[in-house]
Amino acid sequence: MRPSDRLSRRALAKAGLLGAAGAPLLTSCGIGGGGEMVLSDEPVELRLSWWGSDLRAQQTNEAIAAFQAEHPNITVRGEYKEFGAYWDGLATTFAANDSPDVVQMDEQYFKSYSDRGALVDLNEAAEFLDLSKIDANLLPTGQVDGAQFALPIGSGVLAFAVNADLFAQYELDLPDDTTWTWDDYAAISLELTERSGGEITGSGITGGVDVGSIRYWTRQRGNELFAENGDVTVEPELLVELWEYYLGLIDSGACVTAEQMVEDTGAGVEGGMLATGRTAFGQVHNTQITALRKGSGADMRLLQLPQHDGTPANFVKPGMYWAVSAGSEHPAEASLLVDFLVNTKAAADIIGTERGVPANTEILEYLIPQLDESDRMAVDYLEATVPGDPLVVVPNGASNVNPLMTRLGQEVYFEETSPEDAAEAFITELQGEVDAAK
Amino acid sequence: MTATDELRGLRDSRAKSKPQNKAAFWFLLPWFLGLFAVTLGPMAASLYLSFTKYNLLQPPEFIGFANFERMLTDERLHSSLAVTFTYVLVSVPIQLALALGLAILLDRGIRGLAFYRSVFYLPSLLGASVAIAVLWRTVFGTDGLFNEGLGFLGIEGRGWISDPETALSTLITLNVWTFGSPMVIFLAGLRQIPAMYYEAAAVDGASPLRRFTSVTLPLLTPIIFFNLVLQIIHAFQSFTQAFIVSSGTGGPVDSTLFISLYLYQRGFGNFDMGYASALAWLLLVIIAAFTAINFWASKYWVYYDD
Repeated sequence: MRPSDRLSRRALAKAGLLGAAGAPLLTSCGIGGGGEMVLSDEPVELRLSWWGSDLRAQQTNEAIAAFQAEHPNITVRGEYKEFGAYWDGLATTFAANDSPDVVQMDEQYFKSYSDRGALVDLNEAAEFLDLSKIDANLLPTGQVDGAQFALPIGSGVLAFAVNADLFAQYELDLPDDTTWTWDDYAAISLELTERSGGEITGSGITGGVDVGSIRYWTRQRGNELFAENGDVTVEPELLVELWEYYLGLIDSGACVTAEQMVEDTGAGVEGGMLATGRTAFGQVHNTQITALRKGSGADMRLLQLPQHDGTPANFVKPGMYWAVSAGSEHPAEASLLVDFLVNTKAAADIIGTERGVPANTEILEYLIPQLDESDRMAVDYLEATVPGDPLVVVPNGASNVNPLMTRLGQEVYFEETSPEDAAEAFITELQGEVDAAK
Repeated sequence: MTATDELRGLRDSRAKSKPQNKAAFWFLLPWFLGLFAVTLGPMAASLYLSFTKYNLLQPPEFIGFANFERMLTDERLHSSLAVTFTYVLVSVPIQLALALGLAILLDRGIRGLAFYRSVFYLPSLLGASVAIAVLWRTVFGTDGLFNEGLGFLGIEGRGWISDPETALSTLITLNVWTFGSPMVIFLAGLRQIPAMYYEAAAVDGASPLRRFTSVTLPLLTPIIFFNLVLQIIHAFQSFTQAFIVSSGTGGPVDSTLFISLYLYQRGFGNFDMGYASALAWLLLVIIAAFTAINFWASKYWVYYDD
């Protein structure tokens, strides 16, 4: 028996995989080695990867089929995962020089990839990919020093989703979301819990464990999470205030408990407590309303987030991007695929607003008359939103800001760490990650 | 033919058949390829990477021992080590005790032994799988089977996996549940104990308990030792269960953050593969140390019959 042999083999299997994957990189000096920006006459196989719900997968595969019908020599293989697993997997494929040709990008990760040379400048693909119809406010959110490393394909806005059926059942009026405040939200949630006799809980935990709510809360109070140079500028007192607010809600019974929150996180939009009618409020992005209404069958509506001194603080976030991997052997075909997904009515007919309200202004105009009820809700919500200053994009190195927030927020809600200590830890750790990537 | 003759014969035949050596080489080649390509090569690469800053997308940059110095002040690492040690030190003894207990019961020669043996062994095959981890999450959820069972007894359950106080216990339970493979080894070990010892003990009037402590246990110590070493190594490497049950976070509140999961997060979540490689080597050293201690301590309690 030689257990030490066994253990070394298995203990390092994971690290070993990476080693094998990384070895070619050591010699080839980084990502690259991609193909030329010309179309091929030969059969071409592309890989397209994204994260998201079942509905999204179904629609995307339909759009792929439509694209293949137009380009008989191109075959596209779709790959999709759930958000967290998606990023773990994506980093691995990039390291292995085996990245998908076209990848769905997020605002939190975009700079971590582009600053490290992993993405193609889409300006070079002008022949195949038209950028001119993209909303001029959104387009720059995919640029670094003029290079278009990612194409914003839709915009999303933070929203509260509310189950109007539950309000009807417990005979309460929906709040007026043009004027309501955080105090109103707390009072209404508590009222719901009490009227239902504990049958439901008024609200899920809608803040303090995700980066969106921090941004909204701090922007309402004249503060930003990041500065343009990547530094973490959030004031610790504001984090403390936010966490204490929600601790109060949990304590009073207006919000679910920390345990329920953790359980809900794993359940996804369509299976969570909001969709299954166990809470009446939840935090979503406006375009998730479609999946939510489909998943729950309930009369779900969108509400503007509660106010604070009337300061506009919401932000139009580039919901997601398409990007072409610098390692792609067929960047021209990959760009064609992106063009098809973003700029054609054929694709718009299939995808609608599921990936966010389209960033292509012509497509949006084309879609508006034919939107179904839930898509229209998403668009109306976006139009009704009064955004504050433009958002500072998550800098290189800070792409893990959301998991960090989740972890520290949970520590606070489980009362294992004081809000003060957690706020300090949040800033120190995040700044450390940013500095390490510089 | 004496032994010397036999050896001489072997030597002669070896000298005569050089082509056979060649054949052996070709038969061994796939194994060597595997060893170098899948084990030693990547290990060497990860050893190198542990001395670098490597973000997966750009070439690694040599930084000396900085990754290892960083471990001293990394509080999340320290808490993940505490979680890992708790998991190993609690789950392995319970698992082995259960395995031994059942092996002794089954060794009584009950009817349908093969059936029971298979049934008890089944969890060992399934325990580390994704499917079982998913099942576990459902069973121990607030509305899960476990709470329903408690409900019948009039006990109100809780979200066992979503509560930081109990999340690790559910994973320990899962590991204990895979007692089948040590059990099968114990069974084999029990069969090796010569019946004459028991007969002699019975003649001397030893009680069943006395026979267990004075015959069974001492003669079984090599098997216990073997299982102990194996299961400790196995437990240190646990990953899948925590990854699935906590959706990759090691939560709630890092309560299920094994070091294997933490190094995975650093590497793939934070683009921090240099540090992750260093953590992998730390895990290797820890496991090697535990194994060495085990072997050293075995001198004092393991009894070899021969």
